[in-house]
Amino acid sequence: MKSIITIFCICFCLSTVNSQDRYFTKSGAINFFSKAPLEDITADNNQVLSIIDASNSKMAISILMKSFLFDKALMQEHFNENYVESDKYPKATFKGEILDFNTLSEDLKEFKVKGVINIHGVSKDIVVIATMNKVNNTITAVGNFIINLEDFDVEIPAVVAKNIAKNIKVTFNFKHTPFKK
Amino acid sequence: MKFKKIVLPLILLSVGIAIVAYNVYNKPHIDVVDAKADVLVTAENLFTEFSTDEATANAEYLDKIIQVKGIVQKLEIENGIGIVTLKTEDDFGSVQCNLSTEAKNDFNVLKENELVTIKGICTGYLMDVVLVKSEIVNQ
Repeated sequence: MKSIITIFCICFCLSTVNSQDRYFTKSGAINFFSKAPLEDITADNNQVLSIIDASNSKMAISILMKSFLFDKALMQEHFNENYVESDKYPKATFKGEILDFNTLSEDLKEFKVKGVINIHGVSKDIVVIATMNKVNNTITAVGNFIINLEDFDVEIPAVVAKNIAKNIKVTFNFKHTPFKK
Repeated sequence: MKFKKIVLPLILLSVGIAIVAYNVYNKPHIDVVDAKADVLVTAENLFTEFSTDEATANAEYLDKIIQVKGIVQKLEIENGIGIVTLKTEDDFGSVQCNLSTEAKNDFNVLKENELVTIKGICTGYLMDVVLVKSEIVNQ
C-alpha cells in the first residue's frame, strides 16, 4: 500500500524532469470471469490506473475493488462484503517490470511482465504475458491470466462452491498515453 | 384428505420459498437516477478530503450516492463508456465519473469548462476520486 503511493510520488516528482518517459491510463479495463457448473459470473472494472515508466521498464497498476460492476446486485454485494472484503482491502495492486521492454515497436508482440500482485491483502509473485505495441505514442497492453482464489485467502463457502470457480480468468486492456500535466 | 392437509401446504410453501429466493437472487442494483443523494459536495472539496486523509474519506463516502458539482475538465469515451472528469486545483488529481449506459446518451449536452452536477456511487481514490454509474443531474 505505502509502496504503491511511493511509486506514484516518485513518478510525479520525476515527471517534471522527464515527463515524456511516462505513460499512463486512468481508465484501463479489467474483466474477470468465473466459469462454474451452476453459473457464469463476470464483472467489469473500467477505472484501472496503470503507469508504465519507459525509462526503466517498470509498470504499476492500482485497482479499486468496488469499481467492479456485476450483472446482479447480490453478486456484487457478496463479492465486496464476503470474498474480497473491499472495506478492509479497498485496492488491488501490481508492480513489476516489463522484460525486454526495449523491443517494443508498432508490431504486436508478447512481453513477459514480472512482478508482485496484491489482492485481499495477500502478495504473490506473478508473471503475466501481455501483448503490447506502441502506435502514435500510445502503449497498448492486452492479455489475460488465471488467478487462484485460495492463493489470496479468498474463502468460498461450501454452499456456493458450485456457483463460483476456484480459478478466475482475468482479462486486461490498457491504453497508456504520455503523462502530462 | 392427506393431500389437502400435507402435500398441498408443502407445495405452496416450496413455491413461496422459490419466489423469495428468486427475488433475492435477482435483487436490482441501486437506482442512482431516482435515489436521493446521500452527500452534496464540490469536486474540489471531495478531492481535498481524499488526498489529505484517504481512510477517513473512505469511511465517509464509499458506496454512497454522492452529488458532485464541478467544472468539466475532460470528456471522453473509452471502451464504450462515457467518462466525465471534473477539475480540481490539484495538478494531477480530479474526480473521474464513469457514466451509466443511459446517461451516456446525454453525453453530447456536456461541454468542457462548463459547470456540471453529477450524481454517482463513490468507489474510492486512486489518482482521482472515482465514481461509477454516474448520472448527469443538470448542466
